[in-house]
Amino acid sequence: MPSWWIVFGVSLAYLLASLIIGILPGRKASRTAAGFVAGDRTLGLLVMYFITGATIFSAFAFLGGPGWAYSKGAAAFYILAYGSLGLLPFYFFGPRAARLGRQFGFVTQAEMVAERFGMRSIAGVMALVSVLGFVPYLALQMKGAGYVLAAVTRGNIPEWAGAALVYGIVLIYVSRSGVLGVGWTNTFQGMFMMVLAWGLGLYLPYKLYGGVEPMFRLIADSRAEMLVAPGLTATGDPWSWGEYSTAVLISIIGFSVWPHIFMKAFTARDDRTIRRTVVLYPTFQIFLVPLYLIGFSGILFGSAPERADQILPHMLMHMEIPAVLVGLFCAGALAASMSSGDAMAHAAASIAVRDGLVEALGRRYDEVRQRSLIRITVFVLMIASYVLAVTYRGDLVTLLLYAYGPIGQFAPVILVTLYVRRATGRGVLTGLLVGSAVTIFFGLRPDLKPFPLHPGIYGLAVNLMLLVVVSALTQRQVSQRDDDFLEIARSG
Amino acid sequence: MGTRDRIRNLLLGIYAVSCLLAMTWPVYDRFGNSIEPYVLGLPYSLAWVVGWVLMTFVVLVAYHATGKDERG
Repeated sequence: MPSWWIVFGVSLAYLLASLIIGILPGRKASRTAAGFVAGDRTLGLLVMYFITGATIFSAFAFLGGPGWAYSKGAAAFYILAYGSLGLLPFYFFGPRAARLGRQFGFVTQAEMVAERFGMRSIAGVMALVSVLGFVPYLALQMKGAGYVLAAVTRGNIPEWAGAALVYGIVLIYVSRSGVLGVGWTNTFQGMFMMVLAWGLGLYLPYKLYGGVEPMFRLIADSRAEMLVAPGLTATGDPWSWGEYSTAVLISIIGFSVWPHIFMKAFTARDDRTIRRTVVLYPTFQIFLVPLYLIGFSGILFGSAPERADQILPHMLMHMEIPAVLVGLFCAGALAASMSSGDAMAHAAASIAVRDGLVEALGRRYDEVRQRSLIRITVFVLMIASYVLAVTYRGDLVTLLLYAYGPIGQFAPVILVTLYVRRATGRGVLTGLLVGSAVTIFFGLRPDLKPFPLHPGIYGLAVNLMLLVVVSALTQRQVSQRDDDFLEIARSG
Repeated sequence: MGTRDRIRNLLLGIYAVSCLLAMTWPVYDRFGNSIEPYVLGLPYSLAWVVGWVLMTFVVLVAYHATGKDERG
């Protein structure tokens, strides 16, 4: 039997295990949209921990993390840095949103904002931005999965077939079990990823250089610039402190308002579960360290892959490693891809139906009908992402950055929705639209930036300014409704 | 909000700002950004960031444990 068969067999066994774990909980959830999207608000600490952790650790972290350390050195540390405080706002936002969710039946972020300001158009804009952001993100996860399978089977499983196989399985468990399927598979996948990352992260430096410290000493002798922040850019030039620092800042601000993360506030059993998830999150973040070690071990490896994010499969394929181990690595990378991809497909479909159709366009569907519509939308969005993944030849990461810029602009929206009485819907909408436009503009034309800062910082500044000014100009009588809404947010 | 909660929130705020500064310019550059000494095999620049992530965990545990949510 050729060794790629063993590798493929191990990966296949892993995929089957994910499928079984993903299908089982579907029987327990109610047949409503609240059951499908928010798991009937029953998720406990273990699943919440892994659902947030594993959702964040995508194929980007598993392949991109080592890729960054390998090609940009200490620039990669910014991902670890922002993760430390990134989820902190959720400690306060999360329980507030959850109380409103229980009272009003919200399962998405935008319905909450639309209800607060009585403006459907905000839900429509947020839904559109979110879905536009999720499709390239999902496509990127699919490409990652297809790429890994193709690499470890030496091309015997082509990329398109690998992506179709892996995401066919995701499609089955997401459409069958909704968020419960996502939650339980992420728990399994999260544990698997952690064990594997630590295993490889310690094994590779040991095998290649005799240990972690000897490896870093060798790098310090020949490539010292890789080990001090802010590291290098993609082109190998030194990165600026302004960009590094504001990248940390903007990521902390935007982190907890990503729709697929924020929506998990509506899935938690109680406020305490949300808070504990935030408290425990930094322990998940430490898992980036072995991924950096993998990347650093590639710097002096000898041969180089075509693209930086291929460094891990590249090293595995050029070392004498048993096929079973390569198969396990492959399963770990698939775990990373699937555990983010499933949450995104699920969130994007829920948002498209609840915020787009029901909230913004005012269609009336009962809960059971909504659930089946969301399932159909999961299917449609996954097909769209798949087509994008196999046909788009440009740089998906760049596409992703444009799509994600506007999502960072949700932060002020969520803040005022949950805390500020005097904000108005028009102020929020104006800030969101112009702030997003500014972010995209400086993303496309970095040469026009007045200072070398992250484009999102300019967007946020404009967003906040307009939010305050327009809210003041359109100030109406503060209504009982606003007071009631904020009172529920505060005390349930 | 009682005095106790006010103090807790103030301390958490101070920590959050310090942590942010510690991981960005100029504090990180000045105090944490060197290769030596190695800590558990990691260069100091990486160990510094890992240390702050762990510190955040400790601070959050303390903040959470003293809140009324956990006291009853």
